[in-house]
Amino acid sequence: MPMADNHSPEYYKGPFKRIIWIVGAILIAGTIASFTVDYIYAEELTFKQALYFGLGIACIKATAVILYFMHLLWDIKFKTISLTLASTVLFFIGMMWLTVGSEVDSVKPGQDDTTWLHGAQKDIKFKGDKSPADPTQTQ
Amino acid sequence: MEIPYNSTARPDTGLYNGKVGIWLFLASEIMLFGAVFSGYVLLRVGADPGIWSMGLMNKWVGAFNTLILIASSATIVLAWVSLKLKDWAGYRKWKIATVIFASLFLIVKWSYEWPAKFTHYDITFKSDEKAVEVFSDPDFLGKDYEAKLKEVWHKRFDRDEKDWDKVDLKDKPLDGHIVGYYTKNDDGTEEHHPVGEAFGLSFWSHALAWRYDERNEGRVTGAKRDTFLKRGIVAIDFEPAHGTWPAPRHAHAGAIRYAELKGGSKHDGDDHSAHHHSLRIEKSQISRLSSYEPAHSTFFATYYTLTGLHALHVFGGILVMLYHLLPVSRRVYEADPERFTNRIEITGLFWHFVDLVWIFLFPILYLL
Amino acid sequence: METTTQTEAARHDHHESKEGHGHGHQHFLTKYVFSSDHKVIGIQYGVTSLVFLMIGFLLIMAMRWQIANPGESIPVMGAVLENIYAHNNTGESVFKDGVMSADAYNQFGAMHGTIMVFLAIVPLGFAAFGNYIVPLQIGAPDMCFPRINMASFWAFFAGCTVMTVSFFIPGGAAQAGWTSYSPLASVIPTDGQTYWLIGMILLITSSLLGAVNFIATIIQLRSPGMTWFRMPFFVWAQFVTAFLLLLAFPPLEAAGIMQLMDRVCDTSFFLPSGVFDTGSTPMAVSGGGSPLLWQHLFWFLGHPEVYVLILPAIGIVAEILCNSARRPLWGYKVMVGSVLVLGFLSFIVWAHHMYLTGMSAKVATFFQTTTMIISIPSVILLTCLFMTLWKGSIRFTTASLFALAFLPMFGIGGLTGLPLGFSFTDLHLHDSYYVIAHFHYVVAPGSIFALLAGIYYWFPKMTGRRMNEYWGKVHFWGSLIFMNIIFMPMFIQGFAGLSRRMSDGGATYSLLQNPDVTSGALSDLIIKLNEYITTGAFGMFLIQIVFVINFFYSIRHGEKVNGDNPAESTTLEWQAPTPPPHGNFDTPPEVHGEPYAYSLPGANSDFTPQTEKNRPETA
Repeated sequence: MPMADNHSPEYYKGPFKRIIWIVGAILIAGTIASFTVDYIYAEELTFKQALYFGLGIACIKATAVILYFMHLLWDIKFKTISLTLASTVLFFIGMMWLTVGSEVDSVKPGQDDTTWLHGAQKDIKFKGDKSPADPTQTQ
Repeated sequence: MEIPYNSTARPDTGLYNGKVGIWLFLASEIMLFGAVFSGYVLLRVGADPGIWSMGLMNKWVGAFNTLILIASSATIVLAWVSLKLKDWAGYRKWKIATVIFASLFLIVKWSYEWPAKFTHYDITFKSDEKAVEVFSDPDFLGKDYEAKLKEVWHKRFDRDEKDWDKVDLKDKPLDGHIVGYYTKNDDGTEEHHPVGEAFGLSFWSHALAWRYDERNEGRVTGAKRDTFLKRGIVAIDFEPAHGTWPAPRHAHAGAIRYAELKGGSKHDGDDHSAHHHSLRIEKSQISRLSSYEPAHSTFFATYYTLTGLHALHVFGGILVMLYHLLPVSRRVYEADPERFTNRIEITGLFWHFVDLVWIFLFPILYLL
Repeated sequence: METTTQTEAARHDHHESKEGHGHGHQHFLTKYVFSSDHKVIGIQYGVTSLVFLMIGFLLIMAMRWQIANPGESIPVMGAVLENIYAHNNTGESVFKDGVMSADAYNQFGAMHGTIMVFLAIVPLGFAAFGNYIVPLQIGAPDMCFPRINMASFWAFFAGCTVMTVSFFIPGGAAQAGWTSYSPLASVIPTDGQTYWLIGMILLITSSLLGAVNFIATIIQLRSPGMTWFRMPFFVWAQFVTAFLLLLAFPPLEAAGIMQLMDRVCDTSFFLPSGVFDTGSTPMAVSGGGSPLLWQHLFWFLGHPEVYVLILPAIGIVAEILCNSARRPLWGYKVMVGSVLVLGFLSFIVWAHHMYLTGMSAKVATFFQTTTMIISIPSVILLTCLFMTLWKGSIRFTTASLFALAFLPMFGIGGLTGLPLGFSFTDLHLHDSYYVIAHFHYVVAPGSIFALLAGIYYWFPKMTGRRMNEYWGKVHFWGSLIFMNIIFMPMFIQGFAGLSRRMSDGGATYSLLQNPDVTSGALSDLIIKLNEYITTGAFGMFLIQIVFVINFFYSIRHGEKVNGDNPAESTTLEWQAPTPPPHGNFDTPPEVHGEPYAYSLPGANSDFTPQTEKNRPETA
């Protein structure tokens, strides 16, 4: 892909300005869409639907900004930078998964830790039950 | 030896210095906002039912700010394009437009949105009985208070309507404004104080960022920041939020006196403009009173931290853009147009990032 | 080609003696204080961080006295501290009668860690050596953004000032440990922690600016012919370090801002519901926060930070070992690969600091696995460094002695880390003196030895004079012996169950004070070891005085070096004039070969500089 800097002045006068107006319009439409949907359907949407919808629109807007306003699409380093960005996002999601996972998955007070039970042991229900198969009760 | 590749791209990397620098800087910015954002997710996922407030934001303001920030993002690209076409006047025009949009964003946030929040209070109650006392006040919600309370509560805390039973009645907040308060004199009589009006602006006419927490009673350090203990307040005139709750049918005695002070009508009628329709709420009924300030809840803590951090970036961006409009920048431009154009491109990249952050902040803070 | 370089250099020398540092008549302030020259900034960083290295060491000396002699007045300094040091909130001195109170112990402990990590070793290894050496080694005229570089130093200096001032405010410095775990750090009533957070935010800003600058410099300003795999290993190490700082520090900055919000705006980011501070009622906060969030964010920085401490050190050691063994770096590309892998993996091991937080066994298993994997590149690096020595004719200068000592010391530090990487052994060893011994072996005889080696090695380039070799060797042997006297016994204490952060050195839990206890009390030997360690620490202090005197004496009166390349080294920094003028090189130096062309068969001498055009065929 050619560098943004290599475009001719005609390009900047004509097509490029048009692109900017179009992207601007997309962004404004996205904002209005998410606002309106939330305004009208706030009662009907479940949290999950609202989440997907809101973040979906945000992602579309973000992509438009990155590709056109930050003119990454024309940048000679398109591949490098976008791969870096993509891996940053993946990395970030992984980090979140680990962080939130270690919280959500941890053993809360009053719960039994069944992580180390395998096979048949897993079927044993031992909440409050002092059966000898219960490894937490052997000591 | 001069530092090379300041205005031209290095052949093997295809980038000039500033661009490498700004992309690296943006990477660290992603991690900065990402960390606060992960804090948001972690706290929200781990929040007990009835803790995470939703629907308290002024969505109109949020949408308005989103639009002007997007517009500023478009104008800064146009400013850069003008420079590419060697058109200083066009650059100036679009750059000034960007600065105006950006300033408008901050003005809306800092002079309206945040101060309005500091005058908006949540009250939770000492016990379920006290809560019922207030909600079922015949002047307020009456006997059928539960239906209205349920509706408001679902909207704020429980979009999927599954947590109603998990939270005690006393912990379901009543929100609104403080319009007056009562202190006790030495002889046992009560004295009423209206909360003054300042600059003729409505939100200043309410109490700003007061706090009360029953757990502060009897604590040496706790009382320092507790308005009730500091001023010896025994009760307040509380005006439930207009959009959320129905106005109390009868104005409270204290409020009438306040209306008299203001020269309004003396009789208790339907004249809404003359006096506040407020409830008298005793200190003994309140467990915790907090305005929508950072200390209110983890939601507001995250809200102010994220938007505050973002606003600081906007502020920094405005300073840089103003610098680029000064005569000194004109001279830089004339000496080396290519280099100055690159600077504007870099500023633009930073500005788009600020815009990007807001694009995500808008749904997660205002809509969800 | 070499002769040209030599004459150019000679011309420069001449030029310089007339005008001083080859940059005309600059005002003193712009030349030495508000300079944007990477070398001046490097030296500013170096001097500041060496001062803080000393302050951090003095703090621990006072603490060691207290550990060995609990409740006894500190000799000489006790009376001084009682008079100058901050009083606590009730207006009493925390050094009453010269005795260190538990409050003072906590403050010194927290600040010792903070100063050593963020104010001494990171700025010395990354900022000082990086600023001075990296642009020279890649043939660049300066850093990519010289003024940002200056801003970076002054942000650092402001951070240092805030940290130092916090010792003298009412209530004293931060006392929640260098890790500042919430809720404790969020609710401590004194202001030290707030100062700590503001200081940290300034330091982090400085590191971010520095990191951006380093990466951009290495990407953009390599001189012609300096391809990626012709860069010296030190530059690679700094490159990866800069990435770690760039990506790992912002989460701590975010965490710092949140904790500042907790302290200043009474938010509850890190305070769970119903948290108590003192008294019988819970604190009046909204609650709903997570103390673990702080730990996650802190250690997300904290673990990469370990590699920020060690990678520049490994880079310095690699430079010095090649030079003193007169051998190419063994497995250069493997080392580069390892350091990249190390950098990446260091981001996904952080929760091994948190095994005791009740995380689920599945997540713990993940972090154990990554922790074990990350030891592989570390071992590769160490092995390559050892292999470099094979069949070398080693020149035992002070610099190379320190670099050589780094290898076994870092080895001990690394290997003793393995038991801490497993959750089941960590349960026993967590927060014991074993942990202290482990990470001090990595950073004290590890990083600090490498940094001292770097000072001895590059001193001639910076000043044109050598440090005294005899006293340098005295400094080395003394340091090596005392380091081991100090840290080796801590392994034993840790195994015996002595916890860290106890202001009486564990005396409360000793058999002596609990004669009726049948098991679990610390034996007399374990307590007695405290005294040996303290003796070692005082010996260590005396030996460092030798270094300080040697350092300052040699700046003016050291033996002058001949030519620009007294170390007979191949890399570019030695081809520049001594000391390098502003702008470093007259023309961009052209690079024609690998960085470590020592003892090439067929070459004229046992080193072939990177600028040498006529390289032997076998290269």
